Amino acid sequence: MSDEPAAAADGETGSSFADTVGIWMPRGDELRVMTATAVVLAVFPFVFSRMPVVSDLLQGYQSLATLILIWGIFALGFDLLLGYTGLLSFGHAAFWGGAAYAAGVFSQHVSGSPILMVLAGTVFAVLLAWFLGFLSLRRGGIYFAILTLAFAQMMFYMSSSPLAFITGGENGFTGVETAELFGLFPLESELPLVLETLLGTWLYAFVAVIALLCVALGYRILHSPYGMVFRAIRENEQRAEFVGLNVWRYRLMSFIISGFFAGVAGSLFVIHGTYVPLSSLYWTTSGEVVIMTVLGGTGSLFGPVVGAGVYLYVENIVSGGHPFEFVAPFWHLILGLVFVVTIWVFPRGIWGFFRDVRDYVTGGED
Amino acid sequence: MALLETENLVKEFGGLVATDEVNLSVEEGERVSIIGPNGAGKSTLVNLITRRLDPTSGDIRFKGESIVGHDPHEVVQMGVSKSFQTASIFSDLTVRENAEIAALASEHGSFGFKLLEHRDSLTGVHQVARDTLDAVGLLDQADRQASELPYGDKRRLEIGIALAAEPDLLLMDEPTAGMSPEETEATVDLVEEVKRELGLTFVLIEHDMEIVFRISDRIVVLNRGQVIAEGTPDEIKGDAAVQEAYLGGVEL
Ligand SMILES: Nc1ncnc2c1ncn2[C@@H]1O[C@H](COP(=O)(O)OP(=O)(O)OP(=O)(O)O)[C@@H](O)[C@H]1O
Ligand SMILES: [Mg+2]
Repeated sequence: MSDEPAAAADGETGSSFADTVGIWMPRGDELRVMTATAVVLAVFPFVFSRMPVVSDLLQGYQSLATLILIWGIFALGFDLLLGYTGLLSFGHAAFWGGAAYAAGVFSQHVSGSPILMVLAGTVFAVLLAWFLGFLSLRRGGIYFAILTLAFAQMMFYMSSSPLAFITGGENGFTGVETAELFGLFPLESELPLVLETLLGTWLYAFVAVIALLCVALGYRILHSPYGMVFRAIRENEQRAEFVGLNVWRYRLMSFIISGFFAGVAGSLFVIHGTYVPLSSLYWTTSGEVVIMTVLGGTGSLFGPVVGAGVYLYVENIVSGGHPFEFVAPFWHLILGLVFVVTIWVFPRGIWGFFRDVRDYVTGGED
Repeated sequence: MALLETENLVKEFGGLVATDEVNLSVEEGERVSIIGPNGAGKSTLVNLITRRLDPTSGDIRFKGESIVGHDPHEVVQMGVSKSFQTASIFSDLTVRENAEIAALASEHGSFGFKLLEHRDSLTGVHQVARDTLDAVGLLDQADRQASELPYGDKRRLEIGIALAAEPDLLLMDEPTAGMSPEETEATVDLVEEVKRELGLTFVLIEHDMEIVFRISDRIVVLNRGQVIAEGTPDEIKGDAAVQEAYLGGVEL
């Protein structure tokens, strides 16, 4: 019990340079997961928007492929909080929209480098998550959901008028000035050679690399002691406290981590759209990420990304007409139906369904 | 110096005095049982010691230091562990993970920044978890999901979680409640083994007098929140006040 100094001694003091590097090396299944993710990310825009026959059926387009990844990052981080730690936040628009404004304002006044914009937006979101988490996590359950919602709505009103001189108020922030990637490649320009066929634009490549890093980070967190502690807190908060874990601080960490992912995604969102709509802070944005996560399947790394894909697909393609003219005007209804039917038939979401099928086929236990 | 001491400890729920001026002292290495009729305030006393409840007045000292004002996880980190009256486990985690969580908290403190390290690198944690599961006889079920265990095994896992925290003082609230006679027997054997091998100090709340007389060095009798008698098993058996208030004159 009181041997913390000893534990620290063989944990930290012994760490050499090799250990420090070692921490960052992929290990175990990590490499396999990252490779698979990289392959999917590399062919996705081609299959979705350029592959003969398939893309004609899907009616996908390049810019939507990018947007799906961006929301996928948002939902992935959100699920670390909802699916793993068991906390339902209704105010994650604060981090998504906050990061978008921060990155946008940063591009206008400091630097338009896409990498620095992502950095600026993410740092803002993390600090904000720290602060709001500190205030909201005092109470659990419904109180937490309401508090996060209230804080996010406060930010919405702040940027709609009191801070309109910075944010552009109702019109949104229009002064985004994104520069070339590494000072060389305009993001909207096409990639060279075969990469153009596969990935399309520099913007997609940029977003895909960040998405891959986010998947790796999420995977690593879930397989660290944190992942286990988060699940333990979700399962039995009181018991976790009574084995000696500081539940409050772990929850705050989980909240900050999900704020980090929301920040990365929000920053990419402003780079993608070169514009920050005021609605990015509105409560509907918080609701959308909840729906995407639950639709795809909570408690999994990739489920929420799939959920984001399905959601955006219905929102953008089905609502857009051909070949869905007959239902286009009712796309909100379609979205609701997709959600209800999915949750009804597969309570663990789309990804949970995939898992069940796999377990059934392999007869395995997971 | 006693390992655990309470001084004029009082807990009121509205008008009800659940703990009434209790002065309890537990020496290191001692096994103390708390008995008393339903509603006597046994669980309340334990909950006060683990900081699940705030006392109305009085003081609680562990290793000489007052723990009133500490958070529950801080008290656990100081060395007080508790098994719950009902199986309070992490249902969706494996049996092994249940033990690992407790071992992790005890080996690495209440909070850490190991969010990028792999769980497999925590060899000390794995060893403690393994030893604990072995001790409570659940090692062969380590990879099962905790929710799948039969009730008796869940209760043993509950004790295992408390043990994996490697406590200096273990508080057990009715560890055999709801168990079959065989499971009760196995659990009592387990407690005796813990007593013999680890030399652990523990406070046991138990209704079964046979068990209490078998494994306690000292017995504390509570009634309506008050300590009405205290002594060795033999002294308690012969105590008239205890016969009167609690045992209802039954011959033992
Ligand atoms: N949270 C609470 N709020 C109000 N009253 C409570 C609370 N917890 C316990 N009590 C009351 O305090 C008294 C002591 O309860 P406690 O649970 O400590 O008894 P116990 O000795 O553990 O009984 P049992 O043998 O049934 O487990 C009871 O009268 C109970 O109703
Ligand atoms: Mg009780």
